[in-house]
Parts: sequence; C-alpha cells; structure tokens
Amino acid sequence: MALDIDRYARTESPLQRWDPRVKIFSMGLLILAIALLKTIPMALAALVLALAILGVSALPRHFLLHGLSFVLVFLAPFFLIMPFSYPGDAAFSLLGLPFAWEGLRLATLIFLKALAIVMVTFAVFGSSRFDISMLALQRLKCPKVVVQMLLFTYRYTFVFLDEMRRMHTSMRARGFVAHADMKTLRIYGHFIGTLLVRSFERTERVYKAMLSKGYQGELRLLVAFRSEADDYVKAGVVILLAVIMMYSDLNGALSPAEEGWY
Amino acid sequence: MHISEGILSAPSLTVGFAGTAVLAAATMRNLDMEEVPKISVITAVFFVTSLIKVPLGPASVHLILNGLVGVVLGWRAFPAIMLGIILQAIIFGHGGVTVIGVNALMLGGGGLIAYLVWQQRHRFSFKKREFVFGALAGATATLFSGIILALALVTTGEAFNAIAATVLAAHIPIMLIEAAVVGACAEFLQKVNPGILAGQQPARQAG
Repeated sequence: MALDIDRYARTESPLQRWDPRVKIFSMGLLILAIALLKTIPMALAALVLALAILGVSALPRHFLLHGLSFVLVFLAPFFLIMPFSYPGDAAFSLLGLPFAWEGLRLATLIFLKALAIVMVTFAVFGSSRFDISMLALQRLKCPKVVVQMLLFTYRYTFVFLDEMRRMHTSMRARGFVAHADMKTLRIYGHFIGTLLVRSFERTERVYKAMLSKGYQGELRLLVAFRSEADDYVKAGVVILLAVIMMYSDLNGALSPAEEGWY
Repeated sequence: MHISEGILSAPSLTVGFAGTAVLAAATMRNLDMEEVPKISVITAVFFVTSLIKVPLGPASVHLILNGLVGVVLGWRAFPAIMLGIILQAIIFGHGGVTVIGVNALMLGGGGLIAYLVWQQRHRFSFKKREFVFGALAGATATLFSGIILALALVTTGEAFNAIAATVLAAHIPIMLIEAAVVGACAEFLQKVNPGILAGQQPARQAG
C-alpha cells in the first residue's frame, strides 16, 4: 500500500522547484475548474492537461499507476450502472436491460473529470515533501490546529501500519483465518480495541516528549518560502488554462451542446 | 464509502464545505493543546484500520468505523474524521479534493450521531450494555452516512437515482458488519481500558 505520497518528492522537476504556496493555490483553482466541467470535450482536454502536468512532474510511472489504480476501481460501478438506469429513452436493449447513451455519457464525464483531478492532486503533493506542503497550507491561512493534526496523523499512520501488520502476522501465526462470520468480526473488534489501547498509551509519551522539546502548539520548520517571477508565471499559465476551460465549457466555444457527446 | 470527484454540482460542493466549516468550528471549540496529538494518533489508528478487509461472500468490504470514532472521541470525532478524509483525498485520490466538505459531513456527521446513540447507554443497565450500544452506534453511523450519500446523489439529478438505490442497498450488509465490529470493540475497551471510551460517567458511590 503506497501511503507515502512524498516518496519521490526529491525528483527534480519544474513542479518540485515551484514555490509550494503558489503551486497549491493555483492548482487548487485548476482542480475546482475541472470539477465543475459539464462537457466531454473539455473533460478530455482536462485529462490531457493533467497528463501533461504528470509528465512535467517526472514522477516514476509505477508510483503513479499504483496510486491511480484505486480510482479506477472506485469509478468502475458508474459504467456498470448508469447507462442502464438513465431515465428516458433507451437506445437499445442489452441482455434485456435498457441501454441509454446519455447514461454512458454521464459516466464517461465523471470518469474523465475524477481521473484528471486525482492526477493533478498527485502531481501537486507528490512533488513536495509532505511537511513542506502542510507548512504551505498553513501559510495559505489553513487553520494551524488542522495543519498540526494532519502532520501528526500522517506521521503516525506509518507507525500504526507497521504495528497492525505485526499484530496481524501474530494472529495468523496463532491460526486465525478470516471468515464471513460473527467470530471473525468479534476478533476484528478486539484487534482494533488492542490497537487503540496501545496507541492511547503512546500518545501520553509522545505528548510529553514533544513538550520537553519545546512544543508550543505550532509547526516550525527550517524552510523559508521564496516566490520569484517564474513561480508566478507558472501560476499565471495554470490559472489562465483553468479560466479558458471554464469559459469554453460554459459558452460552448468548442462544444455546442451539454447533452451531446461533442 | 465516499462521493467521488466530478459528480456533484457547485452548490452541493459549497454546502459541503460550509457545513463542514461550521461543524468543525463547533466541535473543535476549547480544544486543548494536549488533545492535538491525541486526536491525531486516534485518527491514524482509524485511518489504518479502515484498510482492513472483511470477507463478505465472494467479495470483501473495507471497514468504515466512523461510528467507533464517535464512541471513542465523542464530539471530537468530527475533526478526526475530517482529517482522515483530507488525508485520503491527498494520498489516495480516494474521494477527492473538491468533495472533502461533502464527505466530511457524510462520515463525520455519522460519527457525531454515533456518539449521541452511544450516550444513551447510561439510561440502561444490563450485562451486554456496551456491546449493544456500541453496535447500535456503529449501525446508525453507517446508516446516516448511507442516507446522506444517497440524498447527495438524488439531488444531483434523476440519472443518479439508480446509483443511489444501489448504494443504499449495499449499506445494509456493511451496517451489520460495522455493528458487530464496533460492538465487540466497545465491549472489549470497557473491560480493558474504559477510560478510552467517550462520555464515561464516574462510577456511582456505594451507599
């Protein structure tokens, strides 16, 4: 399970050199624009743009494919259900079910947009160290407490993932096999309870250790953000593309009909 | 169980973010500095345990456990679940960035309702009390989230009615699984370390 999104954050690229504050802000606007698209051609354009951004990010392909595989699994049901459940005229019957092109169009639209957004998100958070991204969020007026908790949670996710694996291994060593029955669920309940008890004991120690190192409820990093002209040029390009996409989506410059395929 | 990116309209996304901001501000009032690492560590545990797959017939489902967050963290369940959702959106692309608000309302709201249900245990006293109310809390949290998910889909357009119905139906087995796991976990914690559970009342003095 690839949970460490910043594993390849050292990969040299224009995205990696981009001031994280400006990067998160402008890419955020782009993501919002993509989320609100309504036409297939513009959603396709967004996907191409997202692919280009991933290309620029120079992140390893296997890392990206692994991350994107989650999304594909998640979106598959839309293709299976929507074409057969769209209200109104069915084009023809498939295995006795009414098949509507408009349903397939909607599913395609959702699929394209979701894929494009996930790709852009990957490029943004994959190209900076996680703590630096979080500090950038804090500078962008995200509440300090939230940023703090995100950082802690991210850090402890790996600790508990290891702990959970160890516990699971020892459970299996004692002969546990997961079945679809009450007993398995009860064991899982106790398993989670044990993990909770252990983690609670750990929080006490963590907090004391943090206090002794001078923690005062705020993230401090030896990182200074500096934005120069080319940071703003990159932002300008991204925001301009977002605006153009929104504009042609709404006005149908490239795509006359919202209901049609093109 | 999330709403995916690219389905909801701008008004729904805005309602999601606005509602989440209000609930987050309300549930994070008087947050002690000491609670920051505590909530984070518990959130990490839930984040990790929600990766556990439970076999269900030929397929398997992931645990949601938003009810258990309510049982353990009380009102602070909302910020905890919100954090989990933000991280999932960033790390997995699970859910999505623009739907963070809606998903936090859906799952975090379930956590809050679970806490309300869990608190009702004080009105009763029988042997399996913690199991029963833990299970009820787990089930109501899942049910609430399923209903919100279905509502969000239905209000988006008629085309999504069938998906909404499918989603609701799929929540019935998940509800039962969640009830069993959360109930067992609550009962276990009551025996092992009752201080972890939210809303405990001090033991009554004898005489």
